[in-house]
Amino acid sequence: MMQFVDYLLGGIGSGAIIALMALALVLTWRATRVVNFAQVGQAMFTTFIALSIQTATGSWYVALIGAIIAGAILGVIIQYLVLGPVKRMDTSGAIIATFGVLIALQAAAGMIWGGDSQAYPQPFGNSAITLFGHEWPLSVYDLVVIGFAAVLVVGLTLIFTRTSLGLAMRATAFNPEVARLSGVRVSRTLTIGWGLAGIVGAVAGVLVAPTSTISPNSFDILLVFAFTAAVIGGLDSLVGAVSMGIFTGLLLSVVSGYSDSSNAPVAALVLLALNLLLKPEGIFGHNSARSV
Amino acid sequence: MRNLMRLPGARLVLHAVVVIVIWLVMVQVNDRVDPLMNYYIALVAMYATAMFGMVILVGLSGQVSLGNGALMAIGGYLFALTTLNWQTVPILGVPMNGIWAMVFAAVGGVVFGLLIGVLGARLRGPYLAGLTLGIAVGIPAIANRFPDLLGGETGLQLTVPYPEGGYAALDAGFEDQFAEVAPSGEALLPSADASLAPEELLTADNFPSADATVAPEDLLTADTFPSADATVAPGDLLTADNFPSADASASAGDLLTPDSFPSGAASLSPDLGGTDISGVDPTGTSDIDLGFILERWQASLAVAVACIVAFVALNLVRGRQGRVWKAVRDDPVAAAVSGISPAGSKVSAFVVSSLFASLAGAVFAQILSYVGPGAFGLGLSLSLLVGVVLGGRSSLVGAVIGAVLLVWLPQFVLSLSEDRGWDEQVTNNAPNLIYGLLVVLVVLIAPGGLMGSMQTLVAKVTKR
Repeated sequence: MMQFVDYLLGGIGSGAIIALMALALVLTWRATRVVNFAQVGQAMFTTFIALSIQTATGSWYVALIGAIIAGAILGVIIQYLVLGPVKRMDTSGAIIATFGVLIALQAAAGMIWGGDSQAYPQPFGNSAITLFGHEWPLSVYDLVVIGFAAVLVVGLTLIFTRTSLGLAMRATAFNPEVARLSGVRVSRTLTIGWGLAGIVGAVAGVLVAPTSTISPNSFDILLVFAFTAAVIGGLDSLVGAVSMGIFTGLLLSVVSGYSDSSNAPVAALVLLALNLLLKPEGIFGHNSARSV
Repeated sequence: MRNLMRLPGARLVLHAVVVIVIWLVMVQVNDRVDPLMNYYIALVAMYATAMFGMVILVGLSGQVSLGNGALMAIGGYLFALTTLNWQTVPILGVPMNGIWAMVFAAVGGVVFGLLIGVLGARLRGPYLAGLTLGIAVGIPAIANRFPDLLGGETGLQLTVPYPEGGYAALDAGFEDQFAEVAPSGEALLPSADASLAPEELLTADNFPSADATVAPEDLLTADTFPSADATVAPGDLLTADNFPSADASASAGDLLTPDSFPSGAASLSPDLGGTDISGVDPTGTSDIDLGFILERWQASLAVAVACIVAFVALNLVRGRQGRVWKAVRDDPVAAAVSGISPAGSKVSAFVVSSLFASLAGAVFAQILSYVGPGAFGLGLSLSLLVGVVLGGRSSLVGAVIGAVLLVWLPQFVLSLSEDRGWDEQVTNNAPNLIYGLLVVLVVLIAPGGLMGSMQTLVAKVTKR
């Protein structure tokens, strides 16, 4: 039993990161009804930028701020240049375009920073916390990750519920035509949505990088986990993305703990498939995932 | 002519004639070009085979799927497992050969395609893309779970099943000469040790051809004869880093120094999405006079499979089933009212495309003489998508153009890079950067891809 609890706790940190990436996917989905498969590509790219800043300045915080700015700019650029011009009816086109962006970003990162895995400095120490005579499978860094995730979620919730920008974003997500008629500048709202998603993704990237390594492809698997979490959460619910992100993290940690970490992708796949079979609209959502 | 086409079965005959003419031309080409060119032809034919399925799935049926790389993995692994482990065909008891192995690969592909199709056909665009993305990442990862059976990260080496005759005689002769020139090289013969890990094969020590040139005319001379021609999988789009190793065989005539040759190919990075394990085919290219060249056999096989698949695809796409797929894609409700089952139509598209994908995977396994999770990773799925989008989402001819583009562009970039002296890092990633940007441009400017744009152009001109 204690082991099970340990495995669960060990998954909280990665769960928070999956939650953040799922949150980024949900933000773009709410804004433009596009699942941005390039999201992890953007996060990878901004994390490489952060790594360069870190190497130059030696400050983890400056690097994080650099990644956040780069993430916002990248998100806005991609929305403005790529997804904005795609016709809203061409769903296949939008999906394919995001994969095109992903391929291009990964190639560009490989060009600039090379294809090898690079270590990202661990700023807060990775040793387990010992408390009440038990060595918990949580490190200080995990707590920092959870803290960042909590701050972002609270901040986004406040933006969405308490500001006029949030109201405009919710209105646009609900019905762009009606929002436009009510005086919302829809295209600007969409772009801001992508910028926010870029920021959340960038933070997730900087947070996940020290726990493994960073290379142009190293976040691919995170995309699968985050997509799983976002879909189970209903794809347009912030609460859903966060709670299901953490749930996915816990589940994968338990599966990896009892069997082997290489089972995690298959476990996520099974989870996603079961969800799409049994409750395709997700637990918190009201999308229709099925059409036939 | 128009009346002639109305005759029953006329279209079938027309398609058969077209495919047979293409096949006959390609057979002539195969006999005349050098092994390197045949290797490229084999790759193009293999990509085209898989992409005919993508045209049906993505273009006609409108389901964006990334799972076809994983389905190719299933085809490739089934081919490898059946050829490696079975001496005879179960139940029937006849001796196992390459054709039977491909039949098993095809059956496995259809079964998995049915499974994914039943699951996926009910899903809308992004959900389906995400699910198949998970499949593309998850299924090759299964190989790591069963290292004993599936070879784990290093994969399985396999001997390409050869047609009767040619191989045995050549093998003996080949081995003799091989032993004379490089006595330490026996381990490289595929029959010696099928489980040899690729990195072992690639070290400069046991790589006798390291100082030989690949230029075909040189192969004829006795000294350079046993130049094992390393074929490297350009299948993995995402790890462009390991990619350029293909260029070693690309630039025929260039010296393959021990340093430059195995460099990129041997790196086995442990992360899931982007490993590229290069298949090494140590069997060697041989003298044309001896009558058997591995690359020529691989190319003829790949072309034959592509032609058969093209015939099936042509009949499906240009017949009733093609109209059914398009009808469901454009308006599922209207299609259902007309008596078509939308779900059935989508599942059938999945099954057909996975049949093609698994056949392509079996061919790919034979081109590489190797199967491994890296060769069939997410990158392969993405390159299939890239090829289909660039060539034209709904065009079979476009699929062939896309396949040519996938094989040609990296070589073109490489030759550019040699002229301009680009950094290796830039050269390796330039093809993917171009693919990514082209895909975005095509979606924005010409959703029909190359073929779609040409058709629009022709329509405009003829209208005037």
